[in-house]
Amino acid sequence: MKNNAIELKNIVTIYEGERIPVIENINLEVNNGEFISIIGPNGAGKTTLLETINGLLSYTDGIGFVFGKKIPSSKSEIRKEIGYVIQNFEIDPLSPFLCKDIVMSGRTGKIGTFRFATKKDWDKVWFSMGLVGMIDFANRPVGKLSGGEFQKILLARAMAQQPKMLLLDEPFANLDLTSRMQIETLLNRVHQRYDTTIIMVSHDLKKIPMGCSRIIVLNKGKIVLDGNKEDVLKSKIVKTIFNGNGKKK
Amino acid sequence: MIEFPLALLLVSIVGAVFAGFVCSTMGVFVVRMNLSPIGYLMSHAAFAGAAFGLMISIDPMIGAILFSFATALILGPLAEKARLQSNIVIGFLFSFMMALAFIFLNYIPGQAASGAALRILWGSILSVNYNDLLYLALLSFVLVIFIILFYKELLAIMFNRKLAESSGVNTRLFYFTVLFLTGFAVSLSLRIVGGLLVFALIINPTSTAYQFFYDFKKILIFSPLIGIISCLVGYYLSLLTDFPIGASIVIVSALFFAIAIVVSPKRIKGNKKKRMQASQT
Repeated sequence: MKNNAIELKNIVTIYEGERIPVIENINLEVNNGEFISIIGPNGAGKTTLLETINGLLSYTDGIGFVFGKKIPSSKSEIRKEIGYVIQNFEIDPLSPFLCKDIVMSGRTGKIGTFRFATKKDWDKVWFSMGLVGMIDFANRPVGKLSGGEFQKILLARAMAQQPKMLLLDEPFANLDLTSRMQIETLLNRVHQRYDTTIIMVSHDLKKIPMGCSRIIVLNKGKIVLDGNKEDVLKSKIVKTIFNGNGKKK
Repeated sequence: MIEFPLALLLVSIVGAVFAGFVCSTMGVFVVRMNLSPIGYLMSHAAFAGAAFGLMISIDPMIGAILFSFATALILGPLAEKARLQSNIVIGFLFSFMMALAFIFLNYIPGQAASGAALRILWGSILSVNYNDLLYLALLSFVLVIFIILFYKELLAIMFNRKLAESSGVNTRLFYFTVLFLTGFAVSLSLRIVGGLLVFALIINPTSTAYQFFYDFKKILIFSPLIGIISCLVGYYLSLLTDFPIGASIVIVSALFFAIAIVVSPKRIKGNKKKRMQASQT
């Protein structure tokens, strides 16, 4: 077996208590350092695919490896190497959490059980908060942040982990143009500087970052197209799925 | 005001302090992890268990622990996957637990036991003994160690369970640990606060602390503190008025919560912001 970042063979994932697979017959190879966008309409199985990769969901059939280790049996080791940014979720404005603590929580797995955060860990927190331009927000409650600021904190949380791979679920959802451009620039910088493998999910063709070189199109739980950015964007399949205007049907 | 021997007063005061501490410390996790429905059910299962203990003439605390643990084991996995809705808990399971408790109470042997039955129903200062204190002190110690050792994991889970899991935290283990510790807190506090009201001591002080602080560390410090103060003031109120101690504690903690809602800086600032936004538009 090659030492790819991701290797999935005939993966099928069915939610507990359900009969219909959310994703099926997924065959995917991702090299270390690739920047990939997974696109598809709502319900295509994009989030399920991401969560199968980091072991949050167990697949029902097939076999999968991440960094050469089998998922989900090695999930605890694999997760330390993967930074995950979940789809923008509602945050209670009265939430009792400060930004710096949220970013530090990204290092929980890296620090390990029965160990406490050291100065080194805090240095990594300050560094990743600086990277996303949120260092001044360290002592602010997360509930007081705007959508864009919160997204940056979630990204800083994932970066504080110093991951080999970033899985981003709709990172540009609910962001204004300025925030989107800032995060896009940041992702390109992280990809180039640290050679981090980035897999980003999006449902909007217009929001695919410049640095992304490969696009995977998911529809009804299956990979219908996988190729370089230019070719995929020109393909008829994408135009059919996205109705030819860059927006989902 | 009722007068009690000093030794009894001291034992019951310390008992009230520990009960306030353990219940309102667990409240921080119960509230944040949306465990209120199952916590509510566990506290009433503990009450049914205590009644069962009295019926078969064993220590009611053992019965309470067994019943609340059984509830956590059976319903924990359902609640974890959001398959246990609050209306089911309140409408069906709560009434089932109470029915069980009353059947058990009905079969308690002997006349003397009826006093014991009433004490687990609404709590009593007189029923606290040295063993209760010892267990409560032990649980308080375990909770402090648990929080110190696993603070970073707990904070990650409290913020977002899925994100915590994705960072390598075994969230399931913590979920069930929290449930079982809640079971212990409820069962050991049952004699002081009473089975019907013990859950209020879990929810009220934490909800009060949430009105004031944005820092999770401060919530972890002030929630038990408010719980202890509620218990002490409730205890004094009980001595003063001859109200059942459980009811007095819950009234005081509910009053604290109501005051917190009114004076909460979080809400005042939020309301001001809303008014400003409204005036701008």
